[in-house]
Amino acid sequence: MATKSGNATALTVLSPIKNGAVDETSYADITRERCLRLPIHENSPLSKVPNTYLARLFILDDVFYESLPANDAVFNFSDITSLFSDSARKKALPRKDHLKSKYLVLSSNFYGNLEDYLVGMWEKWSYVDHEGNQRDIRHIWEHCVAFDRVTDSASFISYIKRCQLDASLFFNGSTDDSLQEQLKSLYLKQEFTRFAVEHQGKSAAEIQQAFKAFIERAQPENLESPTWSPGKSTP
Amino acid sequence: MTHKLDLTDIQGNIIKAYGRYNFQKARYLFLRIDDGNKGRKFVGAITTKVTSAVPWDKQDTEGTSAVPQATTNIAFTFDGLQALEIPTASQRGFPDDFIMGMSKRKDILGDDGPSDPANWDKVWKEKVHVWISINGQSIDAVKKRYEWILEQVEASKGGVVLLTGHRGEKGEDNLPYQDASVLYDATGMPTSKEHFGYTDGIGDPVFEGQTNVPARVLGRGKLMRDGTWHPLATGEFLLGHVDEAMEYPKTAPKPWLLAHNGTYMVYRKLHENVGTFNRFLEEQSKSFDGSAEMLAAKFAGRWRNNGAPIVHAPDDASKIEWDQRYAAADEAGKRRMLTDFTYNEDIHGAKCPYSAHLRRINPRGSLEFGVKDAYDTPGALVNRRRILRRGLPYGEVKDSTRDDGNHGIIFMALNADIQRQFEFVQQQWINYANDFKEGNDKEVLLGNHDAKNPSKVVFSAEPGSGKPPHFVSNIPRLVETRGGDYFFIPSITALKAIAAGIVDPT
Amino acid sequence: MSNIAGKAYAMNVITPIRWYMVWINRLIFKIALSNPSTLKGLITLSLIHYARWVIIPRDSFPRLDPSQPKEELNYSYMLFFSNFNGSWDQYVDSFTFAIPSGLDLFWKWNVRYPKSVPLTPFHDYIRHNQIDTAHYYNAYPMAASNDVKSAKIVKKALIDFNATSADKAPEDFLNDYNKLLNNLQHHFGDMRPTPIVSLSADAVRKRHLQSQID
Repeated sequence: MATKSGNATALTVLSPIKNGAVDETSYADITRERCLRLPIHENSPLSKVPNTYLARLFILDDVFYESLPANDAVFNFSDITSLFSDSARKKALPRKDHLKSKYLVLSSNFYGNLEDYLVGMWEKWSYVDHEGNQRDIRHIWEHCVAFDRVTDSASFISYIKRCQLDASLFFNGSTDDSLQEQLKSLYLKQEFTRFAVEHQGKSAAEIQQAFKAFIERAQPENLESPTWSPGKSTP
Repeated sequence: MTHKLDLTDIQGNIIKAYGRYNFQKARYLFLRIDDGNKGRKFVGAITTKVTSAVPWDKQDTEGTSAVPQATTNIAFTFDGLQALEIPTASQRGFPDDFIMGMSKRKDILGDDGPSDPANWDKVWKEKVHVWISINGQSIDAVKKRYEWILEQVEASKGGVVLLTGHRGEKGEDNLPYQDASVLYDATGMPTSKEHFGYTDGIGDPVFEGQTNVPARVLGRGKLMRDGTWHPLATGEFLLGHVDEAMEYPKTAPKPWLLAHNGTYMVYRKLHENVGTFNRFLEEQSKSFDGSAEMLAAKFAGRWRNNGAPIVHAPDDASKIEWDQRYAAADEAGKRRMLTDFTYNEDIHGAKCPYSAHLRRINPRGSLEFGVKDAYDTPGALVNRRRILRRGLPYGEVKDSTRDDGNHGIIFMALNADIQRQFEFVQQQWINYANDFKEGNDKEVLLGNHDAKNPSKVVFSAEPGSGKPPHFVSNIPRLVETRGGDYFFIPSITALKAIAAGIVDPT
Repeated sequence: MSNIAGKAYAMNVITPIRWYMVWINRLIFKIALSNPSTLKGLITLSLIHYARWVIIPRDSFPRLDPSQPKEELNYSYMLFFSNFNGSWDQYVDSFTFAIPSGLDLFWKWNVRYPKSVPLTPFHDYIRHNQIDTAHYYNAYPMAASNDVKSAKIVKKALIDFNATSADKAPEDFLNDYNKLLNNLQHHFGDMRPTPIVSLSADAVRKRHLQSQID
């Protein structure tokens, strides 16, 4: 299982959406619209879920048919297929697959263990939707199969685990520090860069004094503040 | 295996930087087509004088021709091709960037603030359809060809209009052309400098099919794993030829004959804030450990006076030695000293900063950051981002303490894919630097620096030396866009087909 | 709807793989995992925050209730999720040119995968099988993966320096401070919003922000 890379975790969730519709809108399309209309950046509900690095939602409607021709390093298979009859060639085409359910896909990259993260999702996920209504996490998953049995964080955790898929390979091109640690580091990088530029060429005593004031203000070891807030999109 | 180009079919400005052949003067005209039929006739007339890429030779040997007094080339915007009534199916084959044109791409290009299209020369508020360039060995030769073109406009009987609205030397804002010229030194000799004093146009890319490739390819082609240089694929610069991705460029419209041997041109009038540049250089050099000239060289990656690459002459002392070696070298050796280098011995940027213009527009193998065999080839991230640069300075600097007036560079970039090549370099490497691991730090000279959020760059010190890097901060906007657009330069065959109204993609 | 959140681009690709070939892909991933040099190109490119490959055997799509129809599929499926810096259109060239064999290694056994060079069939294959993201969240829209990694280095160096050198005599302090700057010189890039990599994505973003004000 490669769902973890150090302390970073890759969560892949495929929650089947009920077939059927409300009035003339399918459950899948209702769910999709709710995802599409979520507020972004610092207002995203995911900004409130502790330790979320990057996460996304989308609807898997179906799988795709591989109609495009491929090539090959040694020879093009299509070059020799002309040796066969038309019916043989058609039989060699990829087969057609269709999904019987549509799936709500959540893919999240976060710090820490799954249970803690899912508790955070259950408890903290909140936002005001585009019509001004306060929403919690149940709004997005409402039309998923068997989600009506989810009533608390424990049942939410077991629900998500039933929908979870393992990653065969999780590539971490970043760090596996807690999000607070990452955000504090980004804040410090920004602030210290400014400090270094502003104090270029000043005297030793002057820089030293200013540096102490900088440390006092920036508090490098205090992860709470001052720091960047999750999803902060402007300087 | 060697690829021979149809030089009789390719417009000359694609292959030749005319400035190198003693064409010291240029005039650029922009026109509007009001009548398709008359417009096509006009294009046909101009085509008779369009300069091809056939080599020039004084002896007039076979397959060459004598150097003309003036050259003429022609290109079209997307609106221009529509005005010439090429078929819809052909129009649909052009890429989005070209269809939109430069002003609508301002957010991609960083043309904001003083560079915003609202501040461009008036001519860019017109419907620009056609670009015609004249390069001449003398201003008289340019004028003579210009008069001839005016006659053709006249003959179109209102079908074609020469657009006015260029800013000029005496404060005019309604000139019917944009003039450009090499700059001259105090003795009246032509130089290859621009208004900031930099030596320009040294390291243009070299691609398959050009002449004399082995002598020119060092530092200008693509860097291979074994350290040798190979010419880039022709298709990076000419449509209808195989490119670095081993395919024909996807930006080619149909039919084949419309696209083949053509390319795209980015035309930009770039105003240079000479007064600001001079003050900035002087101010910044006070806190810099080296001469003002050395600092200027760090901005560009080359020394201003002779183009010496700073990676081989990283400070004032080594520059003196470099100059001595240069003086002693023969012509081939000189050329080599100017172009044949990599950043392998300067992977940390202590000699040539990551932010230097030269390193940003052509990082050579340095985006591997010294990690051996990280990529397929050292140039993997670079070979699809190269552009041919053409153009000349324009205007005069009458007072080197002032920014106003009309002086800068007419910059023209030629490439097969504007978005992948020119726009990528402009956006990702000039105005942004994640690929260089420098975050949002913009290139000093061309970056769209913002007075409200002043930029800075970092000049690395030798790692482990204990010396701090040097910060250049509060960088002002040194270069401002004053106009431009995206053009398609057809082959001569395609020009004839457009003129005859016989383009047919079915 | 956007695949872009600040400096990151979300890619989702689902491709069929013959069910009896799944083990080969699993093996390749295992080798890649235990042998980091196979990922050297990807690490040097440094454009990716996090990426993952997930294989769904054809009988393993989550089924939560007997009322949910059972999937009947010919193929197993491979899902690829990536969070990378820049836009796909801008960086497809960089990925295919830098690490063609790496891309081929991971997708080689997928149905009709065309290999990464020439580029257009590869580009078309990915586009053909790509699912656009409905909602994308990035905890640090102004930071590229490079920035996050640099920031970690800056923080540690700053804390260490403060502990060892802050109270030294001024000249010694300055000496250490200069060393600190030298060690951090490649980690001082500014962090601001990304340049607009897609005009359509930017238009969506602007309208979205406007609708929140209205």
